[in-house]
Amino acid sequence: MLSKPKIIWIDGVSCYGCSHSFYNYPEIKTLLQKIKLLYHPLFPTNEFKIQKCDLLVIEGAIKENFLRMDFDLIDLITQMIKLSKKVLLIGTCAVYGGIFGEGVLFNKNKKGIFFPFKDKIIAVPGCPPHPEWIAYAIEMLIENKKMLLDNEFRPKEIFSYTSHMGCIRNEYFEWKIDAKNFGEKEGCLFYEQGCQGPFTHSSCNKILWNEVNSKPRAGTPCFGCTERNFPKKNLFMTEKFMGIPAEIPIGVSKRAYLTISGVAKSLRNERLERKLIDEDN
Amino acid sequence: MKITKKIITKIEGEATLKLHKNQNIIEFAEIEFWQYRGIEDFLKNRHYNDASVINPRVCGICGHSHLIATAEVIENALKIKITKKAKILREITVGLEIIQNHIKWFYLTLFPSIKDIDYFKALEFSRDIAKIIALIAGQFPHNSYAIAGGITSDLTNLEIIKIKNFLLKMFERYQEIMNIEGYSKDLEILFEDIPKNIGKSLNKFLVLGNNLFFRANGEIKFVNEEKTSSFNKNALYNDKFYEVGPLARNLKNPLINKIYEEHKDSVYTRIFARLYEVNLIFEYLIKEIDKIDINEKNFIKPRNKNGKGKISIEAPRGSLIHEIEIENEKIKKYNIIVPTQFNLANGNKQNLSPAQAALINEDEKYADFIFKCFDICAICVSH
Amino acid sequence: MSKEEKKLEIMKTALNLFAKQGFYNTTISDIAKEMGMSVGNMYNYFPSKESLAKELLIYTSKKFGEEIRKINEIEIPSKEKIKKIVELYFKMAKSEPELVDYFMRVYLSNKEIFNNGCEGMLCVSAFVTEIMIFFEEGVRRKELKNQDFFAAFGLFMGYIGGLAFLFREGILGKDLDEYIEPVSENIYNALKA
Repeated sequence: MLSKPKIIWIDGVSCYGCSHSFYNYPEIKTLLQKIKLLYHPLFPTNEFKIQKCDLLVIEGAIKENFLRMDFDLIDLITQMIKLSKKVLLIGTCAVYGGIFGEGVLFNKNKKGIFFPFKDKIIAVPGCPPHPEWIAYAIEMLIENKKMLLDNEFRPKEIFSYTSHMGCIRNEYFEWKIDAKNFGEKEGCLFYEQGCQGPFTHSSCNKILWNEVNSKPRAGTPCFGCTERNFPKKNLFMTEKFMGIPAEIPIGVSKRAYLTISGVAKSLRNERLERKLIDEDN
Repeated sequence: MKITKKIITKIEGEATLKLHKNQNIIEFAEIEFWQYRGIEDFLKNRHYNDASVINPRVCGICGHSHLIATAEVIENALKIKITKKAKILREITVGLEIIQNHIKWFYLTLFPSIKDIDYFKALEFSRDIAKIIALIAGQFPHNSYAIAGGITSDLTNLEIIKIKNFLLKMFERYQEIMNIEGYSKDLEILFEDIPKNIGKSLNKFLVLGNNLFFRANGEIKFVNEEKTSSFNKNALYNDKFYEVGPLARNLKNPLINKIYEEHKDSVYTRIFARLYEVNLIFEYLIKEIDKIDINEKNFIKPRNKNGKGKISIEAPRGSLIHEIEIENEKIKKYNIIVPTQFNLANGNKQNLSPAQAALINEDEKYADFIFKCFDICAICVSH
Repeated sequence: MSKEEKKLEIMKTALNLFAKQGFYNTTISDIAKEMGMSVGNMYNYFPSKESLAKELLIYTSKKFGEEIRKINEIEIPSKEKIKKIVELYFKMAKSEPELVDYFMRVYLSNKEIFNNGCEGMLCVSAFVTEIMIFFEEGVRRKELKNQDFFAAFGLFMGYIGGLAFLFREGILGKDLDEYIEPVSENIYNALKA
């Protein structure tokens, strides 16, 4: 029998949100039985030691002069990347830097210090990433399955979707009806509340969080947490230039977007202009 | 005398423990935290609502408490009153976060430090708890459904019924872990090889939050921070150390009090209070959910643009303090004091913190266990 | 002559008649007569006067929109673009006064005719979209002040439309061309960042 793939999971500057997200993966036991988890910062494993492994998982950003388990963080990652066959970056911090520092692969819009190792790196950003994304990437990597990647090394099977796809407020988006306020069922959060769903790569609204919900479904805008510029400023507001959203859905020209918006607005959908659950009608 | 240095891992983050020993007996302990992330600076000059996205990222396990504290401190600064419905739903999600925390802490942090256990059932439990939070708040971890003025979601009775039934089911399932009479098979197994009365501490307790059924016994204005040799800042109350957390806030519960009378503030009482608190939270939330008036507003738009606020809520590990200064809707200053800064402070021999006091005069072989009984959140400390 | 060309011919003829005798006083048979066509044949091209009016509007909006698009695509500052748009509009007001007339007198003052199928900005979207892009890019480049779209739109279009109207009424003392400079200057000053 072949020996189980050896995995080491280390953390940089993080909040452990990625690990806690992964804890919610329903088939976590089955998945962990397929591997040998040599080290994880929270999960019961042996003590950490610098050693070879099949897959290195990195959670958290990197930062100079940051101590982790008595190692300098950047030295630790340098040593470990060299000893690992493949590397999986979990979370926006590890991929792009996020709130806490620089990413392993990128530093926001620039290449990160470990970019030269890109050929063995897979990026699964998200703050946190969905547990199923983490599980998917681990499974694909340990089984040596080919993953199509986008130009930021993200698996296309996850990141070709936008978080807009599957949002229950889609009809309001189609008819250009803005949410008037927070805490309401009606309206799209794209025009006033800062929702970044139409230009954020993620399958949140396809597979849902904790199997039941998503931020936009709970009236919270998508903050674009899988993207390199997360977190932008004014996260609950839509930046607009003369009333026109500064960022528009990916793949459409501004001219085409404005034309179709004008048409939808002019033709109106009277049902959606009323309260969804209407006492008077 | 010998000093040994140990890095404590398998907690939320990591801590450095320096034990001063005579033979095997601990004479003094230094507690250091060598990580710093700079969340408070990151918040500066941002719109106050951005804090509802940034602050949950203080911590992956108790970030929701940071969210609720954020919304409340802004409401305190801008003099906003939220509806009863928004308040109850926030109580439910923050209460559930405490529950998932305690389960994970007991089965994944504490228990495996002593002996093996099947922790997957604990993960299953905390996953189902997270699902209830997600029904209200969109997802767990790291949602931002609580913003100054209320909440972003607009539930129907369909979700309310689902949440209520879920709570009832989970309460019933929890009886397997610790029942309402306080019996827990796993707790007994844990203590087969460990004395119950070790880890006695200062016997001084502090509660600053008034959420759920907890009632404060002090005022936040008496809390001060002092710098230490590492990146942590000690949190003191009137210049003295106090223990915060589940034991502190549940001392008046008859059952917990009975254990306390018998074992004082030992590791056993501390763990018992934490596990039993889960039952109390379930009971409370099941009653609260019936008080929701679905027709009430979820969110009221704030009007004021300037103000200063300081609040405390009871988070999984104890009293959590958030402080803010807002100028023209922008964050001028933000300060966070986390429960671990109280319990795991680094005092001196004349003024010991709760964890230091608990370690002193104990055998070093129990150091890791005694330390972890406080449910350390080094991640929160390194905000 | 193709059907499309013929339709264009009819629209131009109608435009002239509307300008001369007013929209309400012009009938389909007037237009047919002017075209030298039978009324029956006219209906092969336009089922009603209203449909003709609508197509005329779409045609005008497209034509104007295409011209503004050319301006949008030149790499010049917003200030210069404003001048080019004013120039374009005034040129049209002089060379095709009936077109501007139609826009001002028929479309804007007879919105009820356009309710069915021309709701809101539907029939003028080609033109409005280009104006939106002009504004949006100006703000994005920090040349124009970020404000409500209609506040800016009304200021720009209302102003030049008003001048074209005064010109047509023969009230302006000078030639319209002489107003290009000061009007552009005023618009820029009102919109600049």
